[in-house]
Amino acid sequence: MRKFLAPLIVSTMLAAPAWAKDELAIGITQFPATLNPSIESMLAKTYVLAFAHRPITAYDASWQLTCLLCEKLPTIENGLAKVETLEGGRKGIAATYALRADAKWADGTPVTTDDVVFSWEVGRHPQSGVAAAELFRRITRVEVKDSRTFTLHVDKLTFDYNAINDLHLLPAHIERKRFEGAPSEYRNRTAYDQDSTNPGLYNGPYRITSVVQGSHVVLEPNTYWGGTKPGFKRIVIKAIENTASLEANLLSGGIDMIAGELGLPLEQSLAFEKRHGARFNVITKPSLSYEHLDLNLSSSLLSEPKVRRALLLGLDRETISRQLFEGRQIVAESVVPPLDWVFAADLPKASFDPVRANQLLDDAGWMVGPGGVRVNHRRERLSLELVTTAGNRSRELIAQVMQAQWKKIGVELRIKTEPPRVMFGDTVTRRKFPHMALFAWYSAPESVPRSTLHSSMIPNAGNNWSGQNYPGYASPAMDQLLDSVEVELSKDKRKAIWRDIQALYAADLPALPLFFKSDSFILPKELKGVQPTGHQDPSPYWAENWRWE
Amino acid sequence: MRSGAAILALLLAAILAAPWLLPAPDALDLIARFGPPSPEHPLGTDDLGRDIGARLAQGGVVSLSVAAVTALLAALIGTLVGLLAGYHGGKADALLMRLTDGMMSLPLLPLLIVLAAADPAKLGVPPGMTESEAFAVLRPAVIIACVAWTGVARLVRAATLSVRSRDFVRAAEALGARPARIMLRHILPNVASPIVVATTLSVGNIILIESALSFLGLGIRPPLASWGNMLTGAMDVVWSAPLLAFWPGAAIFVTVLGFNLLGDGLQKALDPKRLSD
Amino acid sequence: MGVTTRLLQSVLVLLLMSFVVYGLMGLMPGDPIDLMIAGDPRLTPDDAVRLKALYGLDQPWMERWLRWLGQFIQGELGYSRLYARPVAEAMAPALGNSALLMLSAMALSLSVAIPLGILASLRPGGPLDRLVNLLAFASVSVPVFWLGLMLIVVFAVGLGMLPAGGVETVGGGGLADRLRHMVLPVAALALAGIGQAARHMRAAMIGEAGADYIRTARAKGCGPARVVLGHQLRNALLPITTIVALEFGGLFSGALITETVFAWPGMGRLIYEAVMGNDFNLALSGLLLATAMTLTGSILADMAYLRLDPRIGRK
Repeated sequence: MRKFLAPLIVSTMLAAPAWAKDELAIGITQFPATLNPSIESMLAKTYVLAFAHRPITAYDASWQLTCLLCEKLPTIENGLAKVETLEGGRKGIAATYALRADAKWADGTPVTTDDVVFSWEVGRHPQSGVAAAELFRRITRVEVKDSRTFTLHVDKLTFDYNAINDLHLLPAHIERKRFEGAPSEYRNRTAYDQDSTNPGLYNGPYRITSVVQGSHVVLEPNTYWGGTKPGFKRIVIKAIENTASLEANLLSGGIDMIAGELGLPLEQSLAFEKRHGARFNVITKPSLSYEHLDLNLSSSLLSEPKVRRALLLGLDRETISRQLFEGRQIVAESVVPPLDWVFAADLPKASFDPVRANQLLDDAGWMVGPGGVRVNHRRERLSLELVTTAGNRSRELIAQVMQAQWKKIGVELRIKTEPPRVMFGDTVTRRKFPHMALFAWYSAPESVPRSTLHSSMIPNAGNNWSGQNYPGYASPAMDQLLDSVEVELSKDKRKAIWRDIQALYAADLPALPLFFKSDSFILPKELKGVQPTGHQDPSPYWAENWRWE
Repeated sequence: MRSGAAILALLLAAILAAPWLLPAPDALDLIARFGPPSPEHPLGTDDLGRDIGARLAQGGVVSLSVAAVTALLAALIGTLVGLLAGYHGGKADALLMRLTDGMMSLPLLPLLIVLAAADPAKLGVPPGMTESEAFAVLRPAVIIACVAWTGVARLVRAATLSVRSRDFVRAAEALGARPARIMLRHILPNVASPIVVATTLSVGNIILIESALSFLGLGIRPPLASWGNMLTGAMDVVWSAPLLAFWPGAAIFVTVLGFNLLGDGLQKALDPKRLSD
Repeated sequence: MGVTTRLLQSVLVLLLMSFVVYGLMGLMPGDPIDLMIAGDPRLTPDDAVRLKALYGLDQPWMERWLRWLGQFIQGELGYSRLYARPVAEAMAPALGNSALLMLSAMALSLSVAIPLGILASLRPGGPLDRLVNLLAFASVSVPVFWLGLMLIVVFAVGLGMLPAGGVETVGGGGLADRLRHMVLPVAALALAGIGQAARHMRAAMIGEAGADYIRTARAKGCGPARVVLGHQLRNALLPITTIVALEFGGLFSGALITETVFAWPGMGRLIYEAVMGNDFNLALSGLLLATAMTLTGSILADMAYLRLDPRIGRK
């Protein structure tokens, strides 16, 4: 490679156009299908919109809930949230929010409670095409106090009662006429797609001024933005699916940075850092993407907890992280990431212990047989099949390393890859995977793993295959913990329940925890203020703080 | 033709000899990832520290197996269609030839993508069968054979037409032999050489199609190696390890070239009247 | 075979194809809603059921095909779910990009192949002829995506002279920039196509060389250049016309592999994304357009054949 290095450096220096410092070009790997904040859940859309469209509340870089468009978070302690008793004795909550006085749509119209009520109506409508409708269903009533203050009446009391991140505000003065009259056509008529450059659609520091389908989106400052003045006169977000091409564009100056939320896979970023660390900062931030192995507990080979524990102890996850990801990917102990405040740091970790793993397998009745593969008294071989998504390089690498490591404790692993649509459409969702499935869960800060661990969430023909408890884990103790943590308002008590959840998870092992994946941001040295968040509320929610120095 | 045969013979020898000369293709060595060529690894190592030469050999076995099965299937279908069309003539011929022309006019790759993306389970294939390794090879073979039979069909039809009017066929018909018997016992042996030529010429194209499908992730899927899917992985690391992209493609190129030269030579040898084109 | 019969048969082929493709796409496991659920923790199973019903993904595909057919015949191509705009709007830029790529590649490959074929035919069996033959074989045997990757490795990674993909530098860089981005993909496609064209040209020229009218012309005292360029060439252009007409369909189906390697947003990628993304409207419109154009191309080729060589029609 070295003989290429000199001419490469020279030519990239010559080729890099002199970007004005008030223009920033960002590369991402996917183009948003729609720009409407509520329709279709897609990370590319969330990222692009984050510059121009703010939710009322969001989680920040330290995973704390914060106000973006409201003035103060309503809590029971500060009196802005009041517990209500609903019919049937259930508890609900009434949370009062006040929109910021300087919140304005980019055409000058202020953001008012009118927009809130309209957005709620759209969200509640069964045919409007809104993707995440759970929050809208829970809000039974929006009580308007004045043009900026409103109270939401929610029919369930959970500890995250004041997080209304999913209540995306739609500008009533533009969208109402496109919604009323034919709500089921709303998703085909929304101004976000039909008239994307209309300033009145955006309330953030930037607004979208140009959209070239499949290629790029151009943003310029919103003159009516009341917060910190944005640092760039123009931001261009370019979608380049091909990661090699993405790198090439970065090196030639076609783009200035690669977004971590939707950029290069970690191994590629690390390889990039080795070659160009002098020119760019490569920042990695552990995210809430939980890479794990769901185990099919209905399989006879995996129903014995000792076997599951042995499998975990037989994996040298630290070495995998070190060799493949330079240690930049955190080893997971359970569903809760170490950065989450409810993480129980004092629980024992399952370190690589092949001796103990062999012991456990012997105890469970698996003796080493011909070919080094263990057999039990019924002459069954400990041969497991692992299904994972095709086309994901790091997963293929991890799977093959696991195969080699498990061979050493007498477990045979067969690896099968499937396209994501097959895996998530059929294999995993209908529990057709024989033993193991390797994929990632995306969660949110302090998100209760109800759909993945509660026994009522096991997909079966009876409930039309809904639920994400693919292992088929049914533990009354875990069910009880999940039910109680959701409604526990006291932080200390909650932390204790979370600790129990993590301890039980580590003991029962319905899934083998592997890693929390890291997002990797490649930024030019001059760009300051970018704060990776590591969760689904991406870094551009604070884009007004980005500066070029 | 000789050069074609020589190339293929060398290739086959290399693939067969690889297990003896090189480390195992599955042997991981996380310390020696992306290693340069060395005495232990003549072509270097890939992103999991596996020997590239050994992976190439393994991929070669898979790619060639798929190509062989596909070519046989395509030859079967094509011969059947060609024989029927050439022998019966008239309406049957017109219908079959329209079908052939129709198939040839469809855009190849998009159609293959749709075929490859379909779920065999929904078509009624029992789940036990879909798990086996044999099926992983059979599936792309069947898909590609669905579109690769047209060349053979045309050649066989042309040859059948010319053989059909020969005396020994007329004699058999006069004696009252059934059409199937005539086709099998009299016509088929005489159209054998065009079949062989057409099949050989199609193998090169089949290998190209299979590697394109695998490259897109729709043919042979990892961890089973094929030359095509080795190139998919190489594209991601083209900036850090550009040579990883060279070897699988070079292998495909040499193999296809060998088959094309061989087929062309066979054609010249077996049918010297036709100009090679 | 009359043109009207051919046209009718083409319509039948298209109808059949739309049926088969719709059915196959309906057989694809999973759908985008499942993928959405897997990627977003805030979506619940109820959302999945509701969204699937909304997009009609829970109905049997036969019904959906019939409904689509009804709309299509009336000229309504439908709405593309993937691009959130009408199908025609979504396809237009891709068509333009593909046409640009394929036309340039064809022009380049023909402009090299035709002279090569002519020169090779002048001395059959000679050194130049053998060289052209070998090059032709090589170009037919090379996998296009490998060629593309190698070009990227040499010219973009190694020498840094040309961009590694895309249509243009973000935000527009002008004509020179767009041309620079076209160099590698066009080169890859052209190189792969030169071989076939050169061999056809050579064979046709040689075929014509022994023809009666050539001997007559020489007997009359015409100089060799006049013979070659004036008479031989014109008739040898037949197979080239055939090739061009047959490649006509390629303008509309794009070159998926090359577009993938070079991140070129053409029809190939569009159709691929549409099929993979269950965007029935877009996928079917794209596929039918490509097929229709290929069929048209072959009809045109036959018509051109008749026009250029009246002898064939009389056979």
